[in-house]
Amino acid sequence: MEIGLRLAVSLAQIAAVMGVVMLTVMVLTLAERKVLAWMQDRMGPMEVGPYGVLQPIADGLKLFFKEDIIPAGANKFLFTLAPILALVPALIGFAVIPFGPSLTIELFGMQIKPFVISDINIGILYILAFASIGAYGIILGGWASNSKYSLLGGLRSAAQVISYELNVGLAIVGVILLSGSLSLVKITEAQAGGFWNWFVIGWGGFPQIFAFVVYVISAVAETNRVPFDLPEAESELVAGFFTEYSGMRFAFFFIAEYANMILVSCVAAALFLGGWNAPYPGTILGYIGLDSLAWIENVVWFAAKVYFFLFLFFWLRATLPRLRYDQLMRFGWKVMLPIALGNIVLTAIAAYFFPR
Amino acid sequence: MNVAVTTQPKRKPSFSDWLKTLTFYELLVGMKATLTHLLNYKPITLQYPHEKRLLPDNYRGMLALLRYDDGTEKCVGCDLCEAACPSRVIRVVSGEVPGEPTKRYSKEYYMDMTRCLFCGLCVDACPVDALGMTREFEWAVYDKRQLHLNKQQLLAIGDRSFPVREKRLELQHPNVAFFNVTFKHLPQKEN
Repeated sequence: MEIGLRLAVSLAQIAAVMGVVMLTVMVLTLAERKVLAWMQDRMGPMEVGPYGVLQPIADGLKLFFKEDIIPAGANKFLFTLAPILALVPALIGFAVIPFGPSLTIELFGMQIKPFVISDINIGILYILAFASIGAYGIILGGWASNSKYSLLGGLRSAAQVISYELNVGLAIVGVILLSGSLSLVKITEAQAGGFWNWFVIGWGGFPQIFAFVVYVISAVAETNRVPFDLPEAESELVAGFFTEYSGMRFAFFFIAEYANMILVSCVAAALFLGGWNAPYPGTILGYIGLDSLAWIENVVWFAAKVYFFLFLFFWLRATLPRLRYDQLMRFGWKVMLPIALGNIVLTAIAAYFFPR
Repeated sequence: MNVAVTTQPKRKPSFSDWLKTLTFYELLVGMKATLTHLLNYKPITLQYPHEKRLLPDNYRGMLALLRYDDGTEKCVGCDLCEAACPSRVIRVVSGEVPGEPTKRYSKEYYMDMTRCLFCGLCVDACPVDALGMTREFEWAVYDKRQLHLNKQQLLAIGDRSFPVREKRLELQHPNVAFFNVTFKHLPQKEN
């Protein structure tokens, strides 16, 4: 009974988070085209619905009813497995993201944390681990398609994701040193009490601004977005690793890309910009006596930070041209990596002399 | 021949260059440009099927055969358009008007619009201004054979696109449609 209830509550939480994520993916597909169009003096999709707001639904329907093609000579098992391998790790990472204040509520005699599905104590490690599995989806998809463009895209993606995952991991170490925990809930709580306590400013410790820059750049590279979109460089490789995919399998890759964007934005917000903490101590709703509604303000702040990062993704895409492959590798290994390593050393020294 | 390759002497990077590289200054300049366009959003696109742009006066669209104000065809079957056409769009079969050896007309007139490049050389070449370029451009068809137009179709396009027709000059002899000159030495045709 107890286990059944717990399972039901967990499933409800998972369904809610998945719903929000999928809704955000839908919004993003439209928002990306619209923002990109506005930045380029175009209009973007205008036909479906008023100002094209129903375009994601039309796209979804189109992809759903499209013919599912498996190319001749493709490895059928891996070809089918790859989109799932890409999508699942992207979605599974949301299990440890705290979307709101870490309060516990009593429900049927159980302690429930409503704003985080599972507060495991190695949250950030868990996200990094699953992000690495996501690379398999891309590589296998490229290899199993039996197409040279897909294979080239997959190979590029392998090198790129592995190189930049390293930088993501190293950039995070500074934050972990300062907060003393791998749990995203504890990391967020350590940044409470105003924007000067956010780790990007890091008042009283070592500011993680360099780690933040390294993380954001590496996150863009890890999600295969412009200007690091070599795995799917459409002017060179048709569409990269998903050249041969169509219909729902393509949609899986597409959703995985956007879910990954949301995930790295959530992690960036939680690690560096204080997560659900407002940039001032406490909450306004708490001050005016609405303590039970203060979580709304916190969730809105979290969403605002995440959407800021998502807008940054679009903004970069509208502005920057693609890097050459050697530039990408040199930038990753010779610029980002030393900065991240130096940041760890300085943060460790600062954390030793000024313990929080 | 040796081409002198001029290379810029490598300048020692100054402190400001170094600072610009470090702070991604050039990237920020670019991102400012895109953000400015987002904030002063003025789209230059037209939503085509719903709104159409104003075509210029000398727009060269679909070709058409024209008529005089009395409804007679202007074309005299001289084949000059066929000769002028660089893409061999036009095929004219010229013929005599029965019983009038000086007067000719085009028995058949074909245009294969799949090949036309809308240069307007045929219109320039025509001595009697029998060809015109309309402002029609929405000529997408499902079967490309529909773009192989005959004389009746070309005349119909001319009729709907040029409602104001040119007057047949009075001093022109009805026998000869060529050039707007009088031929007083020829006998008047009785009709």
